[in-house]
Order: sequence, then C-alpha cells, then structure tokens
Amino acid sequence: MSQTLQLPNIAKFMSAHLVDVFETMLSMKAVPKHGEPMPHFASRVTGAVGFAGDTVNGAVYLHLSAPFAVKVAATMLGIAPEEISGESDVNDVVGEATNMVTGGLKSWLCDNNAPCAMSTPAIIRGTAFSIEPMPDVERDWLVFQCDDEFVIVEIHIKLN
Amino acid sequence: MATKILSVDDSRTIRLIVARAFKPYDCTVLEAGNGEEGLAAAAREKPDLIILDVTMPVMDGVTMLTKLKEDEALKTTPVIMLTAESGRDNVLQIAKLGVRDYLVKPFKEDQLIEKAGRVVSLQKKAA
Repeated sequence: MSQTLQLPNIAKFMSAHLVDVFETMLSMKAVPKHGEPMPHFASRVTGAVGFAGDTVNGAVYLHLSAPFAVKVAATMLGIAPEEISGESDVNDVVGEATNMVTGGLKSWLCDNNAPCAMSTPAIIRGTAFSIEPMPDVERDWLVFQCDDEFVIVEIHIKLN
Repeated sequence: MATKILSVDDSRTIRLIVARAFKPYDCTVLEAGNGEEGLAAAAREKPDLIILDVTMPVMDGVTMLTKLKEDEALKTTPVIMLTAESGRDNVLQIAKLGVRDYLVKPFKEDQLIEKAGRVVSLQKKAA
C-alpha cells in the first residue's frame, strides 16, 4: 500500500473536506472532534456512496440524526424546517451532501494514482443499525460537531 | 427576451439551488432529471445555456454532452458542467469534451452566476 493512501491520510483529507462542504453549501461550521467515540442517534438518516477502481474500493457513509437531517435539508433548500413535508427532500439533500463528500475523496484518490468511479447515493434510515465492513476492509469514522448536533463520516476502504 | 437556462441534474436539491441562483436575473430556468430528459428538453427549448451534472442515472452528463455535440442543431449550445469530482483526470476529461466551463461541488451560488455570466448575458430583474 502506498504511504499516501494510508487511512490516516485519507481521514485527514476527509476531515477538512467535510468542513468545506458544510461551510460552502450550508454556511454551517462543522468542528472536528478528534478521538470522539461514535455517537448514538435515536433515529438516523445515513447517506451512502460507493467507489471502486482497480486499486481501491470502498464506501463513504454520512450519518446525521433524523432531526438534524431535516434542519440540514431546510438550510440547503432555503426553507423553514416546518416546510419539509416528507422524507424525499431530506433524502435528496443528504444524498447530495454524501455525493459531494465522496466526490472530494474520489478526486483525492485520483490525484494520488488511485482512480475510481462513484456510485449514485443511497439512503438508509433506521433507529438502531450498524454498518459492518467486509473482511480486509479498513474502517474509520470522523465525528464533527455542528450546532448542537453530531455529524459522522464513516469511511470503508480496501486497497488492492 | 429572458435568457433560457436548462439545469440537468438528478438531484432536486441542486436543481433548486441553480434555480435560486438565477432568480434575481431575467432568466427562465428549465429542469431535467437526467441526460435523456436533458437532451429532449434541449431539442425542444433551445436553451441559451445548459448547466449539466456529470453523475446521473439513466444517462450521465458525459454521454449527454457527447450526444449534444453530435447534434447539428444543438452542438453550439454552451455547457457548464457541475461535478463533485475535482481530480485532474476528471477535469481533463471534461475539458476535452468541449465544455465552456465547469464548477466543482460544493459551490456557492455566486460562483455559478459568475461563470454563467461569462457565457450568457445576465440582466438583473427590474426592482
């Protein structure tokens, strides 16, 4: 495995990139909370985007609490949270945010000689679920505080 | 006459952000959810500018742009690509396709207006 493509370097890039996505698209300040254990959400909305190439494959998951996902959707759409009528708007916004976060990683991987293609986003909703990596897949998660809420980026990656 | 802009993106969120960005200007923003719908809308509406996402289901932006360039009636329509990927290979691939410009997500609305303003005339709506 190339030294550059080690998981700590990927996590370092992703930490800065998520802050940029939240600042640019939402005007929200996301503060990295290093060493924080994975927070528990009573109900969760998770965006998932996979990536695959000859030398690398994996997935990025963006976890938000369900109430914060509504707030994020309202902010990005420029409407009040009460105006969010159903799950589709929230799903679209969380999916697009996950797409942007993963797009940054894809670009970083590409610039480090590990080109890959990305899937379109998928959404997982639930009250108590965990995502387990496949064998030989490395996993890390990054916790951010945004307003009074937590945002989690979970990275699963396998280098061939 | 209002400038006609076609926004092609599978994300309703992005289409809404694009429409919101052009709201202060004398523009008509049309929407399509994938490349196939985008091609049909372009042929029907003859937009002055297409804002085109890269990664979409059914037909992606690269395929739509390739087909657009093969169409005598549409090949001169300026296109600004929207992409979540800023890697050099991706940017080079997009540049080779003959787009006017590209914008990497995440983006600010004023960045989109600045790039669009270099391609088409944008007049502020009268107050």
